Formats: sequence, C-alpha cells, structure tokens
Amino acid sequence: MSARRAIGGGGTLLAIVALLSGCATSGGGQPSGTDILKGVLSGYSVGGVNVGAAAGVAMSANDAMREIPEPEEIQMGNDIAAALLGAAPLVDNRAQQVYVNDVGRWLALHSARPDLPWKFGILDTDSINAFATPGGNVFLSRGLVMQMHSESELAGVLAHEISHVVLKHHLKDIQKNATKNMALDLASLKAGGLVGEAAQAVARVGMEGFVRGLSREDEMQADRLGVVIAARAGYDPYGLPIVLQDLAALPQDESAMGQFLHTHPAPTERLAALEAIMPASWEAWSIANPALAGRFARTFPGQGVAAAPAAAARPAAQKPATPSKPAAKAPAKTATPKPVP
Amino acid sequence: MNVKVSMLALAVLAATGSTLAGSAWADPGTTVRPVDLKAMPASDAKTVLSLPKDAPVDVVTRQGAWIQLKSGKTTGWAKLFDVRLAPTGGPARASSNSEALNLALGNRGSSLTTGVRGLDADMLEKAAPNPAQFAKLQTFAQTAAEASAFARAGNLKSRDVAPLAPADVAAPATPGAAK
Ligand SMILES: [Zn+2]
Repeated sequence: MSARRAIGGGGTLLAIVALLSGCATSGGGQPSGTDILKGVLSGYSVGGVNVGAAAGVAMSANDAMREIPEPEEIQMGNDIAAALLGAAPLVDNRAQQVYVNDVGRWLALHSARPDLPWKFGILDTDSINAFATPGGNVFLSRGLVMQMHSESELAGVLAHEISHVVLKHHLKDIQKNATKNMALDLASLKAGGLVGEAAQAVARVGMEGFVRGLSREDEMQADRLGVVIAARAGYDPYGLPIVLQDLAALPQDESAMGQFLHTHPAPTERLAALEAIMPASWEAWSIANPALAGRFARTFPGQGVAAAPAAAARPAAQKPATPSKPAAKAPAKTATPKPVP
Repeated sequence: MNVKVSMLALAVLAATGSTLAGSAWADPGTTVRPVDLKAMPASDAKTVLSLPKDAPVDVVTRQGAWIQLKSGKTTGWAKLFDVRLAPTGGPARASSNSEALNLALGNRGSSLTTGVRGLDADMLEKAAPNPAQFAKLQTFAQTAAEASAFARAGNLKSRDVAPLAPADVAAPATPGAAK
C-alpha cells in the first residue's frame, strides 16, 4: 500500500470526509483524489469490504451521504466503544455485565437488526447516562442502573439505546458532523499510519457526538421504538416511563444529571410524548413477573423488589446479599405469588 | 376482550397492592391532572376517590402502567402518567447511598478509586482508547441462543407489536424472523 504512505495530511482529511460522506457521483472526479481515496479507504476497510473500490471517484463533502456498509459501521462503533471505555471503565462484576447482555441481546433479537455483534456494558461512573455506538455497542452508567428497580425498567432503557442503533442515529450524526469538524482535527493528523489515525479521528467525532447529543426527534423516536421492542420481547413496556418518572424527580441540574440533561429532552417531555402514543391496550401487559423480580434483585441486591420490606411476605424470597437501603427513589414494584398468562 | 385480560391482571395486582399498602414505602407525589382513584388497576374499576390537579399523594407502589396512591385514608390506583413524583435530594441523597449502592453493584468499594465520579464533556472528548476494556466487554456478549434461554427462564414470551409511528423501522416480532 505505497499509496497510503505517500498521502499527506490533506489526503487524510479527504479520506475521512469520503469515508463518512462518500458518494458515487459520476463526474468531476480527479484521478489523484481517486488514488488517495482508494488507498486510504481500502486500508480502512474491514471484513473484506473494499470501500475504496466502491468509492471510485473523488468525493465532495457536499455530496449526498452514502450508506455505510455494516462491517465498516461495526468497526467504527467498536473504535468509539474503546474510546468511551477510556473515559470510564466497566463495572468489575461479570454476573451483572452478563445479565445486562442477556436482557439486551434478547431485546435486540426483537429489533430490525438482530444479528449485529451486540455488546452491552455497565460503565463504572456515578453519572446518569447511557450511550449507544453504531454497530451495536450499548452502555449504561452505574448511576443510571442505580435508579432502577426491575428488569423491565432495565429493558426499557436498553431498548431505547438499541433503537438508536437500529435507526442509525449516531451513525448519521457522525457522518453529518465529520465533514464539518474534521478540518479542525487536521493539524493533529500525521502522515503515515493513516488507518489508525483515521479510525481515531472518527472515534473522536463519535465521542463528540455523545457530548453534543442527538436531535430531539431522534430521542423521541428511540423512545417510541424502544417501548415497542420491549413489548415485543415480552416485557411490561412501561419500564421506560417508570425510569423517566424517577429521573424527572431528580434535581434537573448539572450535579445529578450532568451530560444527560444537555443531550436529552426533559424527562417530563418524554413522558408526555409516551403517554400520548402508548395504546391503552398495552396496560394489560403490566403484569408482575416473579421470575424477573427475583433475578433482578439477585443481580442488583438492594435495588430490586425482593429487597423491599414486603419481601417478608414472600416465602421464597432470596435474601439480598447486602443489607442496603432501597435505591434513591423507590416506590418498589412488587412481586406477586403466581404468574399470569 | 381487553377487559377480560385486564380483569385477570387486576386480580393479581389487587392482591399485590394489599401486601404493600401500609408499608413504610410511601413516596410523595402530586397529581398532574384531575384523577379518579380506582379500587383496582383498571379503567373500568370503581372510583374510590376523585382528586383535583396538583393534589398531594403518597405513592404506595407502581406496577407498569399503574400507580397505587394514598390520599388521606383512601388508597386507590391511577395511571402512571397521572402523577409526578416529588423532587428528591438528588446528589446529596445519591452520595449518602453510594456505599450501599456500590456494594449492591458489586464494587465492594473499589469503584471509589477505580470508577469515575462524574463523566463530563471534557472526559468524553479527551478519552484515550482502552483496548483492554473493550476486549473485556466482548467477553460479556451473549449469543442469540443464550439470550433465548435467559428469556425462557424469565417466562418472557415474544409478542406481535406494530410500530407506533410509520417513520419507525418495522422490526420482526419474533427472534430469527429477520433476514
Ligand atoms: Zn437516547
């Protein structure tokens, strides 16, 4: 790949712009640009997809956004996930992480993209936040998980994040903003090792996206699709509204909500939108599921319903491992003695 | 036919509610509109008390779409969306609970040194990739088969549910139906 080595900073910029907003225009291509693009793009390609060959001609930032091939989307998402994990590590508890992956993967199986390499993680930070990268990486902060009392609440939040991935919200946001912002990062890019540099630059745009946030409509759409995915997976679909009701009771300021506040519509607004659209017929799905209550409480002792004072009334209730207080805002969901069809 | 299902549901819910009623779990809230408190969690159940907008209530428990409220000596059910919970202390409360909650999350206090207090804009923008943590993340991933077994153990059954808006991507209702 000598072409790659020959490219200077300008080539890098062009390449990244092309990677993210690439087009298939038929005219106006300049041979040198084409060579540059082919070299760098094929270098970036993963899974045998030769992006460079598909590009064919020089790119212009103003051309229509191309559809990014799935392997490339996944690689991009993994780079962003690795960067996010550089900001906050994973909670060091395999049982909890696997539990979240079970819930998340089951939900994702009920989405339009069941076969992505879905990965879910709890980030070890007090902040209340959640993140989704392109390609199927989903993260919840420990601070957000601490607000939850049940598997259906966890499912509600995960399904919202899964919806962002399914609807490619962050991917489109990265495509849009990369073309605008990449020039600013040009100075920091060096010639040589372009693949790694380009990947990191893209990851940076993704991380900036977490700070910038998505559009209000993207968030509302993810709520809308999220409750549908939760319902399809057999959950009580009111888990997300319950979490939002709790978040609405937190002080709506920096200290409690941090970045989340800047990047999401107010919880009360989201609740109002969900109320307007969730059909009354779904209320019949608000049935307690003892199997779920038990395992949530076992996985997150002190947060689930089994740890509530009412646990004494449940003969088979698992004793929580730690005698902790209920989570901050905890009108507990209750477990019932027997399942209902 | 909806009524039949909800009657079944409310029979269970009614039993549930009674176990928690009178516990020390009441959290304060207010009604966001005039609300008819129902004897059971169903719209067609008997009204036990009519509350005006902004009425102070105590939340006894929540069950999906339904929230059990106490006003004076009367307890009844409203819709989840009918109630706003009273503001909590937030950060102060969070920190006073943080030790217990760290334990709950299995961090055994170590997160206080290894975890991140607040994940702010600056940290997000300046983060350097952590490939080791990403490799660890991959080890948690569950296969479709594993997730399906997990769902069976939780008595979770797939449902057919249509999208709520035409703009939303239509997804298959059952696992494996895609592609
Ligand atoms: Zn979102």
